[in-house]
Amino acid sequence: MNFRHAATAFLTISLSLMACTRDVPRGASTTVRVDDFGDTIPATLRAQRIVSLSPVTTELLFALGAGARVVGRTHWDSYPAEARAVPDVGNGMQPNIEAVLGARPDVVVLYASASNRAAARRLRQAGITTISLHQDRTEDFRRAAMFLGLAIGDSARGAILGDRVLGEIRAVRTSSTSLNGVAGKHPTIFWHIWDAPVFTIGSASYLDELVAAAGAQNIFGDRAESAPQVSLEEVVKRDPDYVLAGPTSAPKLLVNPAWRAVRAVREGRVLVVDTALVGRPGIRMGEAARRIRALLDSAAAASPRTTNAVKR
Amino acid sequence: MRARAWLLLFAALVVAALAAIAFGSVSLSLAAVVDALMGRGAPDAEMIVRVLRLPRVALGIAVGAGLGMSGAALQANLRNALAEPYLLGVSGGAAVGAVLATSLSVTGPGLVPLAAFAGAVVAVMAVLAVAQAARGPGDARVLVMAGVVVGAFANAAIMIVMSNVPDQTVRSALWWMMGSLGDASWAGVRWTAGYVALGGTLLMVYGREIEILALGDEPALALGVDTVSATRRIFLISSLLAAVTVAAAGLVGFVGLVVPAIARSLGARTVRGTILASAITGATLVVAADLAARVARAPAELPLGAVTALVGVPFFLLRLRRMS
Amino acid sequence: MICFEGVTLRYPGQRTPAIRSLSLTAEAGAVTAIVGPNGSGKSTLVRALLGRVTPEQGTVVIDGASLAELSRRDVARRMAVVTQREEPVFPMLVRDFIALGRFAHGSLWAGPTAGDVAVAESSAARAGVTPFMDRRTDTLSGGEWQRVRIARALAQQGKALVLDEPTTFLDIAHEMSVFELLDELAHDGIAVLLVSHQLNLVARFADRIALLHAGEAVAIGSPSDVMRGDVLERVYEWPLVVSRDPAVGAPMLVPLRRRSPR
Repeated sequence: MNFRHAATAFLTISLSLMACTRDVPRGASTTVRVDDFGDTIPATLRAQRIVSLSPVTTELLFALGAGARVVGRTHWDSYPAEARAVPDVGNGMQPNIEAVLGARPDVVVLYASASNRAAARRLRQAGITTISLHQDRTEDFRRAAMFLGLAIGDSARGAILGDRVLGEIRAVRTSSTSLNGVAGKHPTIFWHIWDAPVFTIGSASYLDELVAAAGAQNIFGDRAESAPQVSLEEVVKRDPDYVLAGPTSAPKLLVNPAWRAVRAVREGRVLVVDTALVGRPGIRMGEAARRIRALLDSAAAASPRTTNAVKR
Repeated sequence: MRARAWLLLFAALVVAALAAIAFGSVSLSLAAVVDALMGRGAPDAEMIVRVLRLPRVALGIAVGAGLGMSGAALQANLRNALAEPYLLGVSGGAAVGAVLATSLSVTGPGLVPLAAFAGAVVAVMAVLAVAQAARGPGDARVLVMAGVVVGAFANAAIMIVMSNVPDQTVRSALWWMMGSLGDASWAGVRWTAGYVALGGTLLMVYGREIEILALGDEPALALGVDTVSATRRIFLISSLLAAVTVAAAGLVGFVGLVVPAIARSLGARTVRGTILASAITGATLVVAADLAARVARAPAELPLGAVTALVGVPFFLLRLRRMS
Repeated sequence: MICFEGVTLRYPGQRTPAIRSLSLTAEAGAVTAIVGPNGSGKSTLVRALLGRVTPEQGTVVIDGASLAELSRRDVARRMAVVTQREEPVFPMLVRDFIALGRFAHGSLWAGPTAGDVAVAESSAARAGVTPFMDRRTDTLSGGEWQRVRIARALAQQGKALVLDEPTTFLDIAHEMSVFELLDELAHDGIAVLLVSHQLNLVARFADRIALLHAGEAVAIGSPSDVMRGDVLERVYEWPLVVSRDPAVGAPMLVPLRRRSPR
């Protein structure tokens, strides 16, 4: 064997290895076993009765074809339509342990927030396997898909679903870059979450990623939190091209005298986002990114001169 | 009160107001602020100064004056230096109204303030009714106890409502209950200032009567005051005055409690003097507290009620020291 | 001037009335004293005058008008009442305090007029409190406070003055000066009605005494008529003797000991 063959073989083998390990989720070993609370998931787990305590994981389980195994959901889970037939066990945050146990699950999926640690501990003490997952960024979704795939004994399907959704988001990003032509012509947006006090999205939120994929720039993308509190003065100062708000908030903003200080509100450039669609980092994130992109495109078409150059 | 003390009070108010216009979560140079006030500044600076800061300062003056005057009148009326406008049902009733309005999520710009005011009025009437049933509608102690009863009931109602609504509503209701000048608009300022001026004028008109009520039930009767109807009247005016401020800015505690004491320590002796001095001091306190709320953790905004409550702590410590 | 006509007073919810069918008149130009043991109903009479207890039977008449038909302002212009105790929560200047006595005469919201100020100052002079007009009420001694309150009552310029235990915290000098002042006022034509425990001073200064016992008037008359050993001993349920005070000539009551000295 000469040097060239060895080099090719070496390159091929190492590239293949890199391809295999490329999909390893952050902070985990090669096989998905330890959840975001540090609890281990047994490899032999084949969940038959699952209580899902967050809307994202409920819709994930249905998308993985395991809807029949879901025996409990939170009060707020309404997608897909079949999920409504599943018994309601109350809140996802600080859940009612009795109600959860009453569904006799073998696996409970929780949102990994600090306030749920006690619940996870108690469920584990009762002999139930808990899977606690972050739900802040798009990457968390893929990790959740893999965990749940593992839990139902079909990790391949979980990986495929996770990749598919992230791929959809990437596709929107690619089309945004190519269509927007000259770099630097991204519209700036302010994403209104709440206004008493003013909350918006920061770089730790999946929405920031979706906004970027849609070809826009979040004016508070420099804030590291996922939902930072900001002041209205700061919004005025940063002067976004558009304000994105939910269907109940948008009309309130337009009549609120204080918000008239924001140029985009004064000039009527408040875009209504479907909060049911974009409200969670779930399986419809690709569609959400596309919808945001469409909103921005139609707004730009209505008044093409309003898109500013990037301010910073 | 000596002329020098009045001058000091006015000066403090002017300084606080100017500072609240010049400073905020976005730092603007003094020149930029002046330009913005004159109408020749950069567009964002003009918006910040004239649409955001000026109405807040104006509302803060109205709310602070209202709470200060209400507290001064109530403390004299109830012969209790620890009386405060929220004690007698106003805060509990307003909170119930606001929480209910928030949980209904009906769109309407003035809905929550209106509901808060309505709730406060209902609670105040309930206090009077309870006092009447206890056969003491003009007795200060009976009024206070009736206020505690109504307040406790209101708190229970709030807890029940809040345990049955989504998180967003809870956060909304909590933010409202912590007090904020963030919803300041010129229209709101006009309403609030108008009603505060009306309530304050009435209290000044009845000032001598309040002065005599402060002497005690029997001395007041001896001097010619019909204590039952006078107490009820002053209680109503003070409570409705406080309710107006609650509708505009949520619950801003401690102002009605602390401000009359500051006025008295500056030398105010007559009830009329105390009411007037409390109006100015209260305005200064709320404007300054709002400034602190806006810049202390900029760009995040602290709740106004939290800042005014922090003022209450050293106040009580000082009183404790003076007592012992 | 002040007439109780067959007045029965009962506190709400009480079985026995505090005052039963009392008829008593405090005439203008005289000092009328109401005496009696604790719980005999003396303060209840004062409360009736303040409108805090309404007569179950009978009427109270003030300067010819029935109390029930007069507003508190009207009453305050005719009659001033100095209550047993008064503790203001917020201190004020003595001069402003005395000026409050003019409230019933002035309009609701105007401040004191020049006439009001003059009346206040002359009342202060009458009560002997001019030296402390510019002091704060919380800096006064018990005696000074009492006299300031009397000054305020005088500022009401009523034709009647009612005092409930006005000398409780006063030393001999102050006590005597108050009684002498009451004597002068009566001499000027004011009807002075006085509730007091000080039987010996009452015996010297009062023109008429009403002795109350368990809500009823046991004796009404001149000091000599009322201050009798047998009656007083029965009413006060304590052994005592009544003699004639050698220095002044008025009846003098001396309570005796029940227990033998150590």
